[in-house]
Amino acid sequence: MRPYKVLLFIAAVMACMAVLCIVLPGRVVIAEYELRWPTLAEVMGSTDSPEPIENLYTPDTLGVLDTLEIPETLESPKPQPVVIPKVQVDSTVDSRIFLQRFYNSLSETGSRTVRVLHYGDSQIEEDRMSQQIREALQAKYGGSGVGLMPLAQTIPTRTVKQQLYMSGHLVQPAQGPQRYLVYGPKRDQREDGLYGVMGQVAMMNDSLVEGSEQIMAICTPQDRTRPYTQWQIFADPTIDYTLSGDTVRLSGRGAVYGLSQECDTGVIVDNIPMRGCLGLVFTKMDSTQLSTFYRDRNVRLIIMQFGGNAIPSNRNPGTISAIVKGLRDQVRYVQTCAPQADILFIGPSDMLTQTDGEWQTYPMVPYMDRLLHKMALEENIAYFSLYQWMGGAGSMMRWQEVGLAGADGVHFTRSGARKAGNAVANWIVDGLD
Amino acid sequence: MDLIKHIFAFNADSPLLFTQFYFWAFFALVYALFALLLSGPKADNKSRLHLRNIYLLFVSWFFYYKTSGNFLLILAFVTLSDWIIAQRIKANREKLMAKVWLCISVAIDLGFLCYFKYAYFFTDAFNDLFGTHYTIVDQIILPVGISFYIFQVISYTADVYRGRIEPVKNILDFGFYVSFFPQLVAGPIVRAEEFIPQLYKPFRLSRRVFGVAVFWILNGLAKKIIMSDYLAVNLIDRVFDNPLLFSGFENLFALFAYSLQVYADFSGYTDIAIGVAMLMGFYLPMNFNSPYKSQSPQEFWRRWHMSLGRWLKTYLYIPLGGNRTVGFGTYFWITVIALVSAALTGWWILALSFWLVAVLFAIIAKRLSETKQKLIYSNLNSFITQVIGGLWHGASWNFIIWGGINGFGMIIEKIWRGMNWHLRFTLITVLTAGLCAADYYTNLPVWRLFAVWAAILWFIDAFRYIYFLCNSDSGLTAKRSNSETVQQSKTVTALSSAWAVLQTFVFITFTRLFFRSSSNLDPATANEVAWETAKNMVNQIGGAWSNAIIPDFLWEYRWVVAMFIAGMVIHWLPTNWKRRYRLAFSAMPLWLMVIAVCLAIIVIYQFVTADMQPFIYFQF
Repeated sequence: MRPYKVLLFIAAVMACMAVLCIVLPGRVVIAEYELRWPTLAEVMGSTDSPEPIENLYTPDTLGVLDTLEIPETLESPKPQPVVIPKVQVDSTVDSRIFLQRFYNSLSETGSRTVRVLHYGDSQIEEDRMSQQIREALQAKYGGSGVGLMPLAQTIPTRTVKQQLYMSGHLVQPAQGPQRYLVYGPKRDQREDGLYGVMGQVAMMNDSLVEGSEQIMAICTPQDRTRPYTQWQIFADPTIDYTLSGDTVRLSGRGAVYGLSQECDTGVIVDNIPMRGCLGLVFTKMDSTQLSTFYRDRNVRLIIMQFGGNAIPSNRNPGTISAIVKGLRDQVRYVQTCAPQADILFIGPSDMLTQTDGEWQTYPMVPYMDRLLHKMALEENIAYFSLYQWMGGAGSMMRWQEVGLAGADGVHFTRSGARKAGNAVANWIVDGLD
Repeated sequence: MDLIKHIFAFNADSPLLFTQFYFWAFFALVYALFALLLSGPKADNKSRLHLRNIYLLFVSWFFYYKTSGNFLLILAFVTLSDWIIAQRIKANREKLMAKVWLCISVAIDLGFLCYFKYAYFFTDAFNDLFGTHYTIVDQIILPVGISFYIFQVISYTADVYRGRIEPVKNILDFGFYVSFFPQLVAGPIVRAEEFIPQLYKPFRLSRRVFGVAVFWILNGLAKKIIMSDYLAVNLIDRVFDNPLLFSGFENLFALFAYSLQVYADFSGYTDIAIGVAMLMGFYLPMNFNSPYKSQSPQEFWRRWHMSLGRWLKTYLYIPLGGNRTVGFGTYFWITVIALVSAALTGWWILALSFWLVAVLFAIIAKRLSETKQKLIYSNLNSFITQVIGGLWHGASWNFIIWGGINGFGMIIEKIWRGMNWHLRFTLITVLTAGLCAADYYTNLPVWRLFAVWAAILWFIDAFRYIYFLCNSDSGLTAKRSNSETVQQSKTVTALSSAWAVLQTFVFITFTRLFFRSSSNLDPATANEVAWETAKNMVNQIGGAWSNAIIPDFLWEYRWVVAMFIAGMVIHWLPTNWKRRYRLAFSAMPLWLMVIAVCLAIIVIYQFVTADMQPFIYFQF
């Protein structure tokens, strides 16, 4: 074949493709199947290089939310655009005014402990973000230890290494005592609501190996963790335990709600991740148990970091609105259980999905962020917009490029989580000044 | 103005990739001028061919500039230096100076490679060994394709030194060989003796070869976009990014899917390169030959990244001594590997033991029979070659471990194949019992993983052992490879081959645990993150397996699962079938081929734009 014939072939293919772009731009529905095809403009179009991530950092943007316009309609990936209601937020309010009681309580840290509970979804697993908040507060107000941890650590953390032994035999967490999770699937839940403050409980029961020492947990603090000074074991009275160094030995039958390595003065920050959780589980947890813990342990700040898990499966503003309403109920429930504590709500980060081959922010992320912000101000709780702090729509892409976010466009990498955790920690600490 | 800038200026965010429209528009334009140059009655005369080569050289340089910007200067520099040195080698042939020139050339080439690819790695290793704290201040950006073209120029200079080829007289022709754009950034690694003669041959492209070239391009695009990118975005990247979010089964599935992905990605790219080169009348060597059909790790490495395998064999394995001897090179590399292992693990005794065992083998071998000598020499040198091959892939401990595991795998398989059935079955029984005991007493996921796999091997081998005992006159000498000893039915032979393929696939897949974990990481944190990822995946597979999740996972990720199964089935289709459909495609009338290409592009585009599989948690 002569080269000009090859050229004609290439030209014929390109011409056919161009005709298709003109005749069938966008989508063609055949039977139930949708075929996608680019427009000629999309094929020819050039993309601007993204702005460097540094330029997008607005570490304290919470006061300037009103300058960020949320369009009334966003083009949905589906043919019909979804109408997203406009959300009015009073952005002149620095919501840290709702942390005043917590700030005041920090003056007590010389003589007692002040406890901060950080609840959240998978974004805080492995002690992510909580670690930075802990480091910042303990550096300033004293305190040590990683705080609460479950009996069986199904998700390892960087701050404490945990090994579980049953009758002297090392076991994997899945082989340990039966776990019940308030945020787990139905089969992992219990009806009495007695999950403890972590929303999960390990049941030591008859199925465990008989013996005087049934379970031994060795919990070794890792680098960068300030050495703890005391243990606390949260369990049914039927559980006996002995402590020796980093080791706790438990026997008996009953529920173990958590172990804690902590201090007698200063700040304790507990990391409580709830994988896959929307945050609508607090009302399923026994209020007496929660109230008792919050009061007795002087819990003065409760951080709730939820919302992200509602985004991927919901593209309808009505559903998002209903979820935020549900979260409002959770906030009120927690306020009832912990009247002495302030609450800080951390909204979802920017989250990406792929539509028509392009990564883009889920359309509901900005909507949820504003709804949560509005709800927080109405409930007199503080709000940190992770989404806005990251730089708004599409910022996760820039985070991915510089290794701060994972390939799923949803989770931070370890360094990304460190950066976000530091931002939250600094924001809290700056409010003191 | 912006359009011109967009077309001609370097932009790190929009390199020229085979999977983008921009590349094909670029290629169409390049081809238009190419066709013009080769038109008319004097198309085959020397000056026209020379003009064609110069034209393609500048096109290739533009391609590289668009991909790597100013790093084009490095490409130009090594081209110039190796061209000059090759001339000097020829002028001093049979003299010591030829060797000196060769050493200078290799030092320059490897110097560039080491600086850009291994500076972090060597600094880390140096710090670990000597307790220092040197750091690299500026971030080093790796020039695209440097590993490929550096190996290419080394092969050229070495071949000139050995007298296998004559130096290229015209530097522009040599530049074209080094820079030919289809294979510049990801291979295949083309040896001078294969490619340079093509520079002086007139353009020839038969109708059938044209069809095959189009087929390779479509095949490559489909592999890259449908198999590789779709699987990666929707599952593999998520799992490797955060293994702890997923159950053991999901981690295992992602690991196997990664095996397919890495093959589809790499071989897809080289398929396109081969097709594009063919359209311009140049023939690049085959780079992949259905590697997951291999029945042993050794065979796998003959089918996987074949151009690199050949390169390593010619320029590393054979100079080390091959299966003939061990010399200074072997001892030197054993020492380097031992030092690296010491730095990696901190266990000097382990490294010293490795060094002693390897050196002892080398010394003892000299007193053994020729057959045994060859076996030991060959194993030592091929192990070293594998480790160096691992290091070529990237500057991370994990790549070294990956290379080492592959080296060990090859050696163990070779020894295993040579054993009689009694010994083989006794060994697998002892090994299985040992691993099960280790699992029982330690209860660590890694031992569970080994124990489960050993148990599977034991069961299958028990069946095979019984079969061979029943069907062999002398079970003592029954070897898998010796079909004369035991008359096997076709079914048994097929089953035996399938089992060997599956074992090899599983082995290679598990070595990828280290390979994938090292890719695309910031060099400063690569070692830590890669090791952590591999460890977490092993822990999840061995310690957080959950049968209850499997049906949910298979249903929710049904498209990902279907793609994986389809990919493997196509991969395992008999070679004859593949050849037949390839030839059937190439024999299509041109108008029908245009329609087929358009349909294929439409299908591929559906995967480019497919909505992402939603993120689902199955484990809480």
